[in-house]
Amino acid sequence: MKALMPLLVVLLASCTSTTVDEFRQGETGINSDESIVILGRRHSSDYETRAEFVDCVGERMTTGNDSISVIPEKEFVDAMFPWFEPRTAPLRTQDLERLMAEPVVADKIAQFGVRYMVWLDGFTETSGRTGTISCTVGPGGAGCFGFGSWEDDSTFDARVWDIASLQNVGTISTDATGQSYLPALVIPIPLIARVEANACVRLADQLKQFVNGE
Amino acid sequence: MIFNECMMKNSIRSIAKTLCTAFCALALASCGVSKVVIEGSYPSPNVAKLPLSLAVVYDEPLRNFSYIEYSETGAEEFNIASGASHVALFDAVLPAMFLSVVEAASLEEAEALGVDAIFVPAIDEFQLALPNKTKLDVYEVWIRYNMRLVSGDGAPIADWVLTSYGKTPTESLRTADAAINDAAVVALRDLASSFSLSFAQVPEVRDWLASR
Repeated sequence: MKALMPLLVVLLASCTSTTVDEFRQGETGINSDESIVILGRRHSSDYETRAEFVDCVGERMTTGNDSISVIPEKEFVDAMFPWFEPRTAPLRTQDLERLMAEPVVADKIAQFGVRYMVWLDGFTETSGRTGTISCTVGPGGAGCFGFGSWEDDSTFDARVWDIASLQNVGTISTDATGQSYLPALVIPIPLIARVEANACVRLADQLKQFVNGE
Repeated sequence: MIFNECMMKNSIRSIAKTLCTAFCALALASCGVSKVVIEGSYPSPNVAKLPLSLAVVYDEPLRNFSYIEYSETGAEEFNIASGASHVALFDAVLPAMFLSVVEAASLEEAEALGVDAIFVPAIDEFQLALPNKTKLDVYEVWIRYNMRLVSGDGAPIADWVLTSYGKTPTESLRTADAAINDAAVVALRDLASSFSLSFAQVPEVRDWLASR
């Protein structure tokens, strides 16, 4: 069983492909006493950036080499209430400039030591569901037979705003796709493509390099 | 042998009866109305305090406000109680907006307190949009309020309408009750943000503040 594990991991990993694009518009760099805050966009009518994805990117950036101090989204949004709610959050850097003119907002952001504000916008969509699986329970036992598959597509953008210059210094886009399979021969065996998790890891690593000015 | 067969039949009958009762109870429970009591935490807004003493009156319709969502067949599907959560929200918001805030049981009691103004919030309408009806992957809550501000002696100052909106996406392993709660909490936070930021901009309130 242990010998099969690496094969299984390779099989699962090979089900996902991820593309990351970076568009730099300004110089970046961060001091050890400065932090960043990562916020999810939630103003669209038909989707919102999941808080779990925002947390995932933040946690990944606080680990490993060149880790960055990241303020948790909920802590920041609650402390800044009501200025970063879905209806009141700044959509453009000009809005942020107006917001920073409010002494209470500027003071709070200075207290947090925020150097960069990162806006994550995107979602994961599932499509192409095919196949059927039927399960039966009888006096002799239970079992499932069949095959199902689907495709997940995660598309996320990260816009980086420099609080010092109140400018958008760059955008990082990530697109991850993967096919998941669910064969069932008595027992269903889920072969799930970790699409959103891969998008999170690749986006966080790129974002970390970007903020560090590499 | 006959005795044993009889015992076995009785025992099977008893198990079947128990299973039938359990199944019926489960079926009835799944068909019943789901009671959702909105629970959330509301931060104090970071806004400049107005130099006013305010009395707030939470009347019975607000305190006990609940909304019933009916299924397409006309059966009660969700009973959403949000009165206590609204009171908790205003209790968090008002002290951050005004110099002093006291709660009064009625308008008459508030008038006897000698405050600068009396605030009476009310819920006009509550709407819920469920994914199985809208075919969207979000739960949505929309609330319309009637906000009333009167002077310390009961003279009307302003009477205005405020709307709030909250949504939360569908997620596997999250119940409809939890999703409705989350959407309602977002709507209540939306109310707190728009109320605290727009209060002094309401034309009648602005004129009254300027005249003081």
